[in-house]
Amino acid sequence: MQPFALNYARPAAELEVSTPYVYDSGLQLNVLSDGRIAARDHALMRELGTTTSTAGSKTHFDD
Amino acid sequence: MTVLILTSEEDVTADMVVVHLNASGVPVVRLDPADLTGGVALSGEYVHGAFRGHLSSAGRLVSIEGLRSVWIRRPGTAAARAAVPSGWLTEEAGQALYGMLRGCDARWMNHPDAARRARHKPWQLRVAQRCGLPVPATLITTFPQAARDFADRYPDLVVKPVSGTHPQDPPRAVPTSRVAPDADFSAVAFGPTLLQRRVAKRADIRLTVVGERLLAARRATDAEAEVDVRFDTSDVPWCPVEVAPRVAEAVRAYMREAELAYGAFDFAEDADGTWWFLECNQSGQFGFIEVDTGQPIALGIAEWLARPASWRPSRVNGARAQVP
Repeated sequence: MQPFALNYARPAAELEVSTPYVYDSGLQLNVLSDGRIAARDHALMRELGTTTSTAGSKTHFDD
Repeated sequence: MTVLILTSEEDVTADMVVVHLNASGVPVVRLDPADLTGGVALSGEYVHGAFRGHLSSAGRLVSIEGLRSVWIRRPGTAAARAAVPSGWLTEEAGQALYGMLRGCDARWMNHPDAARRARHKPWQLRVAQRCGLPVPATLITTFPQAARDFADRYPDLVVKPVSGTHPQDPPRAVPTSRVAPDADFSAVAFGPTLLQRRVAKRADIRLTVVGERLLAARRATDAEAEVDVRFDTSDVPWCPVEVAPRVAEAVRAYMREAELAYGAFDFAEDADGTWWFLECNQSGQFGFIEVDTGQPIALGIAEWLARPASWRPSRVNGARAQVP
């Protein structure tokens, strides 16, 4: 009784990655441990993949 | 006047826009509706024929009438982190917040009504057809025989979720996948199934639209690449690419019909260079494209959000999401 599309399902990607930044409610931005703004560090963002289009995410219903 | 951003704290992509708004001196209030009624509070009164409303978060207080724009990015479910969460409280909090915001004169990226409609992928396909975008032959059906007949006509098929969502019980991902030539379509009867002619692509295209601005990026693929670009582990970077005038015209028509201020279009480029429409994500990610290409998408969003609220679109059906 399983729908056809679910024959192609895979285990969901584990997206609960540890990120080296935390949200600063005063700045309304995520900051790194050295105080730098995470969004300015494009190399880091590329490495972490936190801005990517990722299927199977609970939070990214629109990829 | 203030830009209101509804998103989660961990949304570092939204940070890319906040940075630009801060640099231009535009006031920003960022909050997650999930934090109602803990870290986020609201109040609105309808007295003597007028409305006065306020939102507060992290020590910031903003007048709802003082909003120039609302950006719905990645908001959590209203009141999801309340001390005693419940479905009823979520409904109450969502109605209070979005109900009050809907009454203000701010511009939306994207308006909730337009966003909800735009998430329907079957609707997307029809709008794309009407706007002149090439759409791969597609069937959505619960008839196994219709699926078999379609497979006879188009032997090389992919299957993907109609809704674009993924099952959570247990959590699984359902990527766009090639259908085996000898597939048994009996299970089509157990759920609407979207089958689509596979485009033999030589590149993936991500076209990000911010208002009237179109920024396209291209990533070359090989024949053995994943069908679903989201699962492609290729380290080939995205590169800026020009948008053909005909495609640009069709995409702008799509945005007008969908009443969207922001959209992220996915296309598959075939060997002839034709861009085949796959979908338009009304809140699609853009950070990974900007990081690779250097295209000023975040800046474009910031500039759109920063425009004065006094501007009004020409259409009157309530979306107020478009750019002239």
